[in-house]
Amino acid sequence: MYPAEFAYVRPDGLDAVFTAVDEYADDAKVIAGGQSLLPLMKLRLATPAMLIDLAGAGELSGQHRTPSGVRLGAMTTYRELQHSPHTLGLLPGLGETVAVIADTQVRARGTIGGAVAHGDPTADLPAMLLALEAQVHIGSRRGHRRVALDGFITGVFSTGLADGEIVTALEIPLPPAGTGAAYEKVEQPASHLALAGVAAVLTVEAGTVRRARVAMTGVTTTPRRLTAVERALVGSTTSDVALSEAAALAVDGVVPLDDVHASPQYRLHLLEVATRQALQVAARRAGARWAA
Amino acid sequence: MAQVQDGTDVTVSLQVNGRHEVHTVPARTLLVHHLRNTLGLTGTHVGCDTTQCGACTVELDGTAVKSCTVLAAQADGSSVRTIEAVSRGEDGRDGGLDHVQQAFWDQHGLQCGFCTPGMVMAVRQLLRDNPRPTEDEVRRGIDGNLCRCTGYQNIVAAALAAADAEAAM
Ligand SMILES: Cc1cc2nc3c(=O)[nH]c(=O)nc-3n(C[C@H](O)[C@H](O)[C@H](O)COP(=O)(O)OP(=O)(O)OC[C@H]3O[C@@H](n4cnc5c(N)ncnc54)[C@H](O)[C@@H]3O)c2cc1C
Ligand code: FES
Ligand code: FES
Repeated sequence: MYPAEFAYVRPDGLDAVFTAVDEYADDAKVIAGGQSLLPLMKLRLATPAMLIDLAGAGELSGQHRTPSGVRLGAMTTYRELQHSPHTLGLLPGLGETVAVIADTQVRARGTIGGAVAHGDPTADLPAMLLALEAQVHIGSRRGHRRVALDGFITGVFSTGLADGEIVTALEIPLPPAGTGAAYEKVEQPASHLALAGVAAVLTVEAGTVRRARVAMTGVTTTPRRLTAVERALVGSTTSDVALSEAAALAVDGVVPLDDVHASPQYRLHLLEVATRQALQVAARRAGARWAA
Repeated sequence: MAQVQDGTDVTVSLQVNGRHEVHTVPARTLLVHHLRNTLGLTGTHVGCDTTQCGACTVELDGTAVKSCTVLAAQADGSSVRTIEAVSRGEDGRDGGLDHVQQAFWDQHGLQCGFCTPGMVMAVRQLLRDNPRPTEDEVRRGIDGNLCRCTGYQNIVAAALAAADAEAAM
């Protein structure tokens, strides 16, 4: 399968990328790893007249400590992350999530910027990044801004990026001491895509949950936080009963996707199961688990 | 690298199996078609053409990728190794089957052979990342590659045998 014809540029440096994105605005798409975009182009579901390759902008690579966390360039591949023990050591849950994305070859190309900018309703990484309270760095010819990932993905394949803007980096704050994380994914066996994926990041002190961030993917039109679960967890114990009661709230108000892979009822069931398992594992990892 | 070109043709400069190759092709040319059609290296196969099967796996700057999902233009400035060069040493001379190929032969790790070039590339990547994998790690490590014939059992055996052979070196 051949994509429709297009012109290709690989601008040298970020400023040149901004200029190109601005200049070709409507007809152009940026390409990062191409692991989502090229399959769509081969199926002619995407037919951009111009591809702007981000690979020539070295500014989009690299991992840096910031005063409050870690900043990861948008072009960081899943594979690079898997081989970054320092970053993975600082950010619980990230390594476990990346390991269940796609396969070795796809992880070698797919980038974290693409994972967030694509707005795929089944993308794994955004769930964990939501639970880790990631911020999205956005740049354009007009300047830079930073927004919370929470709210950035607005719908199926749509985000809060304005014309001319690209994702330049993701910044993740370091979680407080006593935090444990887990990612639980029930996948469609052939595609590996999530039917329900749940990321949990819990901070536990003497058997009591002090802070909870829980997010899901694969179930609705966008990855999003499960705030009812989070609220129920704060101040509760980490007993199986308490965690199960909180997990039961995961399905509250959720309008699930309905496709050939799973019925809405089945997705809701998987959501609750995955939430319970993620909470149990995260609580155990946070240490100090109380016997019920 | 980083050449900027307008228009729908691009000049792609690659190091393929140690040879410098410069060709002007339509920008929409996939790396796999560039290798097979422009360069005549037909050992790399197109199976699914949808990033699922791994038959098109090659090493791009030393890392296994699915060449049906990389543009030749994206690879510009890089080096590529295909199955044709796996048996060749750094000096370009043919040294016979490499450990992974030999293990596929010994363990009967192929039937029709269609998936084999990609499987060999995937197993080589697996062993670079993890020289002593468990059976479970092998199965996970090559789950980007599909085989319609073998039922995988002998492919997994081949990967484990190749790891043994490399460890014994
Ligand atoms: C076989 C297969 C299996 C997969 N399995 C999984 C899985 O199990 N879980 C999962 O989560 N994902 C899976 N994926 C999807 C994969 O993770 C995506 O390829 C990746 O998330 C997107 O990153 P990319 O760099 O390849 O983006 P690209 O394909 O290059 O781009 C995707 C979209 O994002 C835009 N974009 C990319 N980078 C930026 C940026 N910095 N700023 C603005 N816009 C940008 C592009 O314009 C395009 O619209 C799978 C893909 C394949 C092919
Ligand atoms: S042909 Fe590339 S993955 Fe199947
Ligand atoms: S040997 Fe026939 S597809 Fe694998």
